[in-house]
Amino acid sequence: MPEALLETRDLSRRFGALAAVDGVSLSFAEGRVHAVIGPNGAGKSTFLNLLSGELRATSGRVFFRGQELTRATPDRISRLGIARSYQSANVFAELSCGECVWLASHSRARTLVFPSARVAERARRALATCGLAERAGVRARQLSYGEQRQLEIGMILATDPQIFLLDEPLAGLGHDEAQRIVALLQELARRHTIVLVEHDMDAVFSIADTITVLVDGRVLESGAPDFIRQSERVREAYLGSDAP
Amino acid sequence: MISSRARLFLALGALALAAVPASGDRFWMQFLGKAMIGGIFAMSLDLLVGFAGLVSLAHAAFFGLGAYLLAGLSNRYQLAQMALTLPICMAGAAAGALIIGWLSLRAAGVYFIMVTLAFTQMLYYFLNDAPWFGGSDGLYVALRPLSNPIAAYYAIWIALVAVFAFLLLLLRSPFGRVLIGIRGNEQRMRSLGFPTRQYLLAAFVLAGSLAGLAGYLDANLYGFVNPALFGWRESGLVLMTVLLGGKGTLHGPALGALLLALLQQQGERLTEHWTAIIGAVVIAVVLFLPRGVAGLLEARRA
Amino acid sequence: MTLSLFALQLLNGIEVGLLLFLVASGLTLVFGVLGVLNFAHGSFYMLGAYLAWWLAERTGGLIWAVLLGVPVMLALGWAVERFAISRLYRRDHLSQVLLTYGLVLLFNELQRTLFGNDVHGVPAPRALDWTVSLGEMQTWGAYRIFTSIACLCIAIGMRQIILGTRFGMRVRAGASNGEMLEALGVDVRRLFSVLFSIGTALAALAGMLAAPLTTVFPGMGESVLVVSFVVVVIGGIGSIKGAFAGAMLVGIADTFGKVLLPSISSAIVYAVMAAVLIFRPQGLFGEAQAR
Repeated sequence: MPEALLETRDLSRRFGALAAVDGVSLSFAEGRVHAVIGPNGAGKSTFLNLLSGELRATSGRVFFRGQELTRATPDRISRLGIARSYQSANVFAELSCGECVWLASHSRARTLVFPSARVAERARRALATCGLAERAGVRARQLSYGEQRQLEIGMILATDPQIFLLDEPLAGLGHDEAQRIVALLQELARRHTIVLVEHDMDAVFSIADTITVLVDGRVLESGAPDFIRQSERVREAYLGSDAP
Repeated sequence: MISSRARLFLALGALALAAVPASGDRFWMQFLGKAMIGGIFAMSLDLLVGFAGLVSLAHAAFFGLGAYLLAGLSNRYQLAQMALTLPICMAGAAAGALIIGWLSLRAAGVYFIMVTLAFTQMLYYFLNDAPWFGGSDGLYVALRPLSNPIAAYYAIWIALVAVFAFLLLLLRSPFGRVLIGIRGNEQRMRSLGFPTRQYLLAAFVLAGSLAGLAGYLDANLYGFVNPALFGWRESGLVLMTVLLGGKGTLHGPALGALLLALLQQQGERLTEHWTAIIGAVVIAVVLFLPRGVAGLLEARRA
Repeated sequence: MTLSLFALQLLNGIEVGLLLFLVASGLTLVFGVLGVLNFAHGSFYMLGAYLAWWLAERTGGLIWAVLLGVPVMLALGWAVERFAISRLYRRDHLSQVLLTYGLVLLFNELQRTLFGNDVHGVPAPRALDWTVSLGEMQTWGAYRIFTSIACLCIAIGMRQIILGTRFGMRVRAGASNGEMLEALGVDVRRLFSVLFSIGTALAALAGMLAAPLTTVFPGMGESVLVVSFVVVVIGGIGSIKGAFAGAMLVGIADTFGKVLLPSISSAIVYAVMAAVLIFRPQGLFGEAQAR
């Protein structure tokens, strides 16, 4: 069993009477792709927001490499190497693609006033990896939605993260665009740790090493894709009879 | 950011302003000195409004702090040397901006606007009620650092050009781009790892110290300060200057200050109801000229 | 401080707070539903007070002045919404601040032209010209009792309307999701007009009621606006409950501050606001809007 990079212990978040995330203990191993699936309202996005610091946990704790970050702010969590994407592409609409990745890359720089060559180089590499090298001068708002999603992955790549938290990276995409993102994710998965929240089951089962099923804010089942595919409880609660 | 033609006009304008004292006309020197101080003041606010996306109504407070500190230093300690008083006054304004900014930036959106106004008003009441600062009558600046009107004029001119160049370079630096990123999408900047509140506070303090510089020059030019400098009318007026000139353009607000000074001067001559004219102009600019005069010039060219 | 002095200050604080609530509730409702931060709100308070003085001089009493003045201010609010505020619904904060700032300048000029720049006293209605004694030294004016009760009735009435009527339901729905309200076929434009006029009239009514207590003077609008901002920041914007709590807190803190710490009394309400910002930046009853 590889060492856990990111770990939650009994993590809960309540909104009034509703327990959106209810006592979730999971550990995400280094170098793996860990998918979190579940029906709408299962608490997947809330869980991701707790990991990235955009929501505060009601109870429970989060550890990254053994260091507690339950109450850390989003910017600190990001600087530790935990990068996230959002459910709908969250880029700087008025900036060019090159500027978007440059800003992301600059978040790791120590200089305030003088431009750094390393920052520019990291930005250039990230833009190339996400497949938008030729579109560096184009404003983000002029990109297609699929390209905006590519750009967002490029941006978080430029922050040089140790772990990616991806919130439905395929949502709202057509078949071809989705294929491009899946290929990009497979490329990333070779070198990075990924926590993936996604509805597209084909994609999840083809990319993920481990799958966790959340239902009503609780972990229903967690294991390898084959195990999840065969689990009766998952079948009943979520996948239905036409499971892949 | 600025087209080459606009750059030519700006350079010519700056040279023309530099030539004014040669005419020896005291009235125009005073008038243009005032307008240039307004330009420095408005450009420093544009850093916040136009680039960092912060609508602050506290900006008059830092202008007032710069002015009051000069009056206090000269009255109480007979200090006038510019090398000493200017850094102190700007640092004092920066310190005020640090305190007000630290508190106000805990709030976002309209809260920020309301809180900045409230703290400014607190300073206004404080100075209005405190007898040792002259109360509502204000204070004379006993010893002016630059009592020669020509020297005072050129000091303002140099400050205007220097502040413009400084802000232009700052906005092209990584720091400026981070501010623009925060204006575009603060949540995204935070999740990319930027401590956005610290960046905004840095911009707030920087802008505050430049407003303090403008206030210092104002107190030197007029030799007099009073609590109205802190009034919310002043904060509103400088915000209006930024919008009138064109927010986010830097040279626009400087232009706006000149226009507003002309408007004020003509309005005062024309009718005693000139604040109504200013009010009507503010409303008209918001409704019909949201990109300001600079935006109008750009659009004509395009 | 004797018990009777304490009781008197508390009652005065509550009365100041209740008047403030009338102003702040309109401000917070207009922001919550229309999404506009209205700097001219204090001007309505000022115009209400001047109107009360002017009408009281001519009709012989404050009661007539209120009865005639409130409809005038309702109409003014309606006109301001129609011709100015309605153009701000999709605009940014800067435009809202500046346009309503322009309105403040216009209203100040209006006041100067119509009513002059003098300070005026307005006598309380003769029927309320008596006092209640509290202990040996202190007396409490009947007009203050009347004002407190009137404001309290209005506050309770507002609560009943907002929680218990169809109009109130629309207001609540508009505050949480304006677009949905439009999709459901509610005439949002009319709702906004009505709400803005009511907010205007409430601020003006507060000014009318305050006129015998504070005198009528230029600049009274600006000072009440700033204090209302403090109230709204403390209570949380968009929340009527928050406006009530904030107004009470500010009214009482200000009244006691003037007695206990007269030298720094003007700073006390701001200190309360600073404390709220440090410990609960979204306000006591506000939803998360902190940075």
